[in-house]
Amino acid sequence: MSTQAYELISMLMRYVFVLIGLTIVWRSYRWLRRDARAYRREMRALPDAGLVGEMVNLSTGEAQPLPREGVIGSSRECDIRLKGPGVERSHAHFEFEDGKGLKVIPLRRANVLVNGNALHGPAYALHGTQLELGGIPLRVRLFAGLNIPYPAPFAEQAAQPWEDDDGERPAEWDGPQQAEPETEGEAYPYTGYENALPDNPPYDGHYTPDGQMTWQYAYSLDDLHRAMEQQTPPQDQWRQVRPTDQVPDEEESAYGAEHPHRRRRRDRHA
Amino acid sequence: MREKSGKRRPQPGRAMLAAVMLFFFLGFFLLALNDGEWKSFLLAVLVPLIIFIGTAGMSKLFPSDQLLLALTNFLCALGVLVLYRLNPEKGMTQAGNYGVGVACMVACTYVVRYVPRWKWLTVLMMLGSAGLLVLPLVFGRETNGAKNWIYIGNHSLQPSEIVKLALLLCVSWLLSQRRFFPALLFSGMCLGLLMLQKDLGTALLYYGVALILFFAATGSRLLVLCGVAGAGGGAFAGYQMFAHVKRRVAIWLNPWADTQGAGYQIVQSLIAIVNGGFWGVGLGLGNASVIPEYYNDFIFSVILHEFGVIFGLIVLCMYLFIVIRGMMIARRSRTVFHSLLAAGCTAMLALQTFVIIGGNIKLIPLTGVTLPFISYGGTSMVSSLCVIGLLQGVASRNEAGVNEDRELAMQGGGTL
Repeated sequence: MSTQAYELISMLMRYVFVLIGLTIVWRSYRWLRRDARAYRREMRALPDAGLVGEMVNLSTGEAQPLPREGVIGSSRECDIRLKGPGVERSHAHFEFEDGKGLKVIPLRRANVLVNGNALHGPAYALHGTQLELGGIPLRVRLFAGLNIPYPAPFAEQAAQPWEDDDGERPAEWDGPQQAEPETEGEAYPYTGYENALPDNPPYDGHYTPDGQMTWQYAYSLDDLHRAMEQQTPPQDQWRQVRPTDQVPDEEESAYGAEHPHRRRRRDRHA
Repeated sequence: MREKSGKRRPQPGRAMLAAVMLFFFLGFFLLALNDGEWKSFLLAVLVPLIIFIGTAGMSKLFPSDQLLLALTNFLCALGVLVLYRLNPEKGMTQAGNYGVGVACMVACTYVVRYVPRWKWLTVLMMLGSAGLLVLPLVFGRETNGAKNWIYIGNHSLQPSEIVKLALLLCVSWLLSQRRFFPALLFSGMCLGLLMLQKDLGTALLYYGVALILFFAATGSRLLVLCGVAGAGGGAFAGYQMFAHVKRRVAIWLNPWADTQGAGYQIVQSLIAIVNGGFWGVGLGLGNASVIPEYYNDFIFSVILHEFGVIFGLIVLCMYLFIVIRGMMIARRSRTVFHSLLAAGCTAMLALQTFVIIGGNIKLIPLTGVTLPFISYGGTSMVSSLCVIGLLQGVASRNEAGVNEDRELAMQGGGTL
């Protein structure tokens, strides 16, 4: 190709290159904005995204969302802020570990109690664990990692029938008693545990539809499973979500056999 | 293997990818018309193919950030195009580096995506990077006043480019574990060894990235003030102590005082930019190879010369979008480590681009760092693409997290 022809083509192609470049930049910009908008919309639809539970301040009743990782303390940068004379600016670090629970690490020998015991190193908190940071009682409520079994010492402690245990057992005592089906209507079916309750029972509170909190005693997931097996829901509002095998058939539902949506669709066909 | 990616989240689509591929097909085809070599025709097919594999093929492996991939591939291929036009041998080498870099990017993405525990890996990386940074002091030879290369046979290697990745990973992991002192120690050690190598540009980069990571992790303004004051003090002390630095600053203030000697580089760069003008002189028509180090430090001036100032602005916009995207990824990530890692990667790319482009256009004194993705050099290309790979790993983790949340929300309740 002659030099003149190449020069002409090359000088024309400059504009083509700029045009393609501008197209790419414009499309990138458009796409960045669309993606940001779509992400915001998605996050509005998923308010629990990135959270593993919430931390309830038992002295004020206020609940703060619990991210996977962060710091508890009184300073502005903390993920969970507590106000109190005993709370340090950054008091404890927490991190949710899959299969283990919420790892709590006190920072700079800050004063942290887990279920009433002083903490000197990292500890794992599970759903219902009570923490006390600088004199402020907190309850950990998790909606991740609920399949983690409670550790053996806690289960043993729960199985102790008397607080001042002298080692003697009544002859008929063989472990915590099972809830009996005939004691229907009793609010609390776990008769074997009544004497084992510590001062601050683990909190398994759930919100009823009208915004009231209900308080329940639940020691371990095993107890809950046992209760489920015997199909004795302890109270009406105890479990908001029923297991699938307990959901009534459509005939028994509030709408009866004629579900409004279904009827409407059939009418349209007719 | 492919994970379900969100239905409602838009992807940049094939149109943008097609535009990128068309650009390089036209560019290499134009060069092929000029020289009539079979290599140019080969590259006209090969480079768009690498772009296609690196962008569309990647999303088959994991949910990846398509925009980041498309822009990165554009910049890498632009480097290959410009280098091939000025020096076909270097261009072919760079095309090879580009292919290797894409493979390393995938490897980095998999590391961030699947490595669950970083503790021992971090210790290993810290030891390894100390060893790597000592190597050029022992075996290296001094080039351009800095002793930062090691030579293995015919090949040369710049360890500070690889240690960059280790710095990002180690410092962000240590800071996410709230181990401030080891992080400070490690970044201080890297900085000290770089100062011993007299690689001031890279040292500046490391310092800036470490400072940004510390600020991102602690949010303390005092630290930033101390850091900026320390940098200012260090710069002043360096200016007073090293004749090397004094000369650089004098050249920056007035390169026209010595156009044939010390100021030659920057003067040639400025003349090339001015000759190019707004629309450039046209691909294959310029003579930018009169600039010393045109393939490495001054490649941005070459782009301005041949494609024009408007195209330089387009390239800057692309860097800007990469940085914005990186910050979005950092904000969306679920854990502190991944957030810090993404922020550090972004800061690294942004600072490096600013330092070298600012040097090229005489905004700040020139320091010898490479322009990410575009400059000639195997280590530089691989490490820049690895940084993008780390960002991709964080992005794919974010995507997996959002998918999980979406599925939980779809189930609409808990199972106990």
